[in-house]
Amino acid sequence: MPPRAAVNIHNLSFKTSICTSCLRRDFSSTPAPQTRLRRQMFAWLQGPGESFRHPLPNSTNYLSAYNRQGKLLREGEDTPESTEDLRPFPLNKTFVSEAILSEDLRQEIWRRVQVEKKSVRTVSVELGVEMRRVGAVVRLVEVENQMREERKQLALPYARAIHEMLPTTPYSQSKVVRHESINDLPVHPLTDQQLFYPTSESRAFNRTDAGRVFSAATRLPDEQDVAQGGAAKQPWQDIQPEKVGKGKNEMDILKPADARIPHPHLIAFAKDQQELRGNDDEIKNRYTQRLEDDATSRAEARERKFAADEKRKTRVDTGRWQFVVTDVKVSRQGTGITGRGAASPGMRYGVPHEDRKKGQVKIPTRVEV
Amino acid sequence: MRNRATTPLSKAKVRQSWSKFNLYNLSRIRSPPYRGRTFYQQKWTAKSILRDYHGEPVREAQWAKQLFRRRLNAVIPMDPTYMARNDGTIESSGRGSGLKDEDDFRGEIRKRMDKTIPYMNMTFAPLERRLDTAIFRALFASSTRQARQFVVHGAVKVNGKKMQYPGYLLNPGDMFQVEPQRVMFATGAPKVTKKSAATTDADSGEPLDEAESKPVEEEPAEEEEDDDDVDIEREPRELLKDLMSQAKSILSHERAKIGAKKKQDLRAFTKAVKRMLSRSTSSSVLTDSLEAQFEEIKNQLRIQKQQQKSGQAAADRAKAANESPDAPLAKAQVDAEAADPVTPDEKAIAEDKDANYLSDEDLKQLQLAFKSSSENPIDPRKPYATPWTPRDYMSAFAFIPRYLEVNQNICAAVYLRHPVVRPGLAEVPTPYGPDVNGTAFTWYLRRR
Repeated sequence: MPPRAAVNIHNLSFKTSICTSCLRRDFSSTPAPQTRLRRQMFAWLQGPGESFRHPLPNSTNYLSAYNRQGKLLREGEDTPESTEDLRPFPLNKTFVSEAILSEDLRQEIWRRVQVEKKSVRTVSVELGVEMRRVGAVVRLVEVENQMREERKQLALPYARAIHEMLPTTPYSQSKVVRHESINDLPVHPLTDQQLFYPTSESRAFNRTDAGRVFSAATRLPDEQDVAQGGAAKQPWQDIQPEKVGKGKNEMDILKPADARIPHPHLIAFAKDQQELRGNDDEIKNRYTQRLEDDATSRAEARERKFAADEKRKTRVDTGRWQFVVTDVKVSRQGTGITGRGAASPGMRYGVPHEDRKKGQVKIPTRVEV
Repeated sequence: MRNRATTPLSKAKVRQSWSKFNLYNLSRIRSPPYRGRTFYQQKWTAKSILRDYHGEPVREAQWAKQLFRRRLNAVIPMDPTYMARNDGTIESSGRGSGLKDEDDFRGEIRKRMDKTIPYMNMTFAPLERRLDTAIFRALFASSTRQARQFVVHGAVKVNGKKMQYPGYLLNPGDMFQVEPQRVMFATGAPKVTKKSAATTDADSGEPLDEAESKPVEEEPAEEEEDDDDVDIEREPRELLKDLMSQAKSILSHERAKIGAKKKQDLRAFTKAVKRMLSRSTSSSVLTDSLEAQFEEIKNQLRIQKQQQKSGQAAADRAKAANESPDAPLAKAQVDAEAADPVTPDEKAIAEDKDANYLSDEDLKQLQLAFKSSSENPIDPRKPYATPWTPRDYMSAFAFIPRYLEVNQNICAAVYLRHPVVRPGLAEVPTPYGPDVNGTAFTWYLRRR
């Protein structure tokens, strides 16, 4: 570094913009010059960037809502934001800051599930909130209530600030504002491939057939095919797993989209609406009946599974502890011919653990609730 | 671990952070040039600028070999009404049979397929599963680095159990929770001390305005002692007038930082409320709920709600009767009104001469100010500036992707599902569009 000339502070005129803090610095009498880039940055921050320093009251405040000069593109701060204004990354047109649940809507979801004892499925349809989200909201509000009861410190000012900064889905009793799409169909890996399947024009080729073609299964016989006048179940009820292939190649047959969406019963509801136009009572009765049937069949299946699990367990109650012994099977399929295979439970004598080997990741893969 | 997450100005890199440097860089980045560059060069640039943002603490080999997936999760929103009308036969029926779009659902189908699915923006989706990234996305930390520190320092729980690995990959349904005080510290404006005031001054290189350069540090001991200087023995009406003006100041939506005047008002308001509550006859009022405490304050200030329409008019007149010089005349009028067959409410109002009448709006404002002053008090023991305000430049970065469900009150969130892409919308927050992401995706396909 070249030697610097000492600057006498007293000779400097204060009319020029001088860095006052530099004069306060302890060990150097040289005013450190700002680089051009830093100057530009602070010029931007004090110019166009000043708009981002504090949130706009009750509105989002993203980069794409402003022009290069830092002027708000929409008419006034009170006009609602368009999708254009909701992009935090100006170069990424496919990412939008989507609305979060408002505090009222969250409390309403919790109330309907926990107080009115409605099923998650019903609440999801009523309020237009995904079922997984309904479950999560109930779980989080329960934790919140518990923390309030224990008088733990909450982050209330933070929560209020966030709800003012982000778009929110409001709740009103008169009008339902749908939060998100509740019938999302996941794109199945089997449908990634492009298939050319010649089929007869005289026969209807529907979504059930498409699923079977994608999983290389044979076509349904006519007497089971609804499209050919067969008396099978409706596609939305078709949830019985079916297999195709043998041995290692065995896999599930892809069910029609009707059965794979989260709320298949809404298809039957829409059909009812078309067929029984005007007969609202009957439509509603059928709808509730369908949901009830679904709930009972699910509860039965759960019970059956629980009973089957219990059958494999022996419970020994000592008064203080309850020991649960689970019956396991160690078979040749699990241990393999060498007797060292890891598919069956239990230690293998002479087979070391791998956890001391190089490259073994110790980070847990799941945390049980 | 060395912090490589620097934000040099010479080369604009966008990071997962809310710093003003990062905001400036985000405002000036451009899509990388492709003209005159080989495909290899384009891919290299694309993947390096994206890796600056995504999973920067993850080593390149770790990302490319263990985390990167070529399969990208997508969903299609289905319309049950359409599915009820059409079992799929229209999509599969023969083409070129002279059918026009208007003849059947074809136009509708085409409209449905109109939006492309930006698959390529899902390239870095696996990194969104990381615990530190998810904490940053839930707006619990101001950068992924800070989120990482919270995890390592043991301030984060997953499903109720302490988790100290920032690289833990969340499973759908996992609930993570950060200590609320840490979140308030991370997202709140920093406490201004004499030392930090000097350094921020030096950073900006320009003299700051007075309100900011003055250290806002408070003397903690003073708070408890000088309670007596708030005179609450005064006339309830005057006290209420003061409280109302202070309430307005507390709730004012000023965009600037909290100024000295606002703080003074907040402090005076809090003290008055505190003294009033301590004067209460009920011994349990200090541990009661906020609603009960507010009722007590209302009693002490003799606040009555103004009645609507006729009731309101009567109340106004009663108020005027107390204040105006020709009181006896007006009073007689009010008494005459009270003698009329009126509702019991109105009668009560006419009887209570000392009551202070507040409109619904004013009462609401007073309650809000009371709530806000007790929930967001001045507390010099906190490591952040109090009363809590969001830190500078936070709003430009504040968004919560849909794969998380966040409860801000308790600073907990549930990782609902893996991020997905849908027609026209990708859920992975990334600073560049599908073209740059796609180029980076081809780099990791390892066929370069």
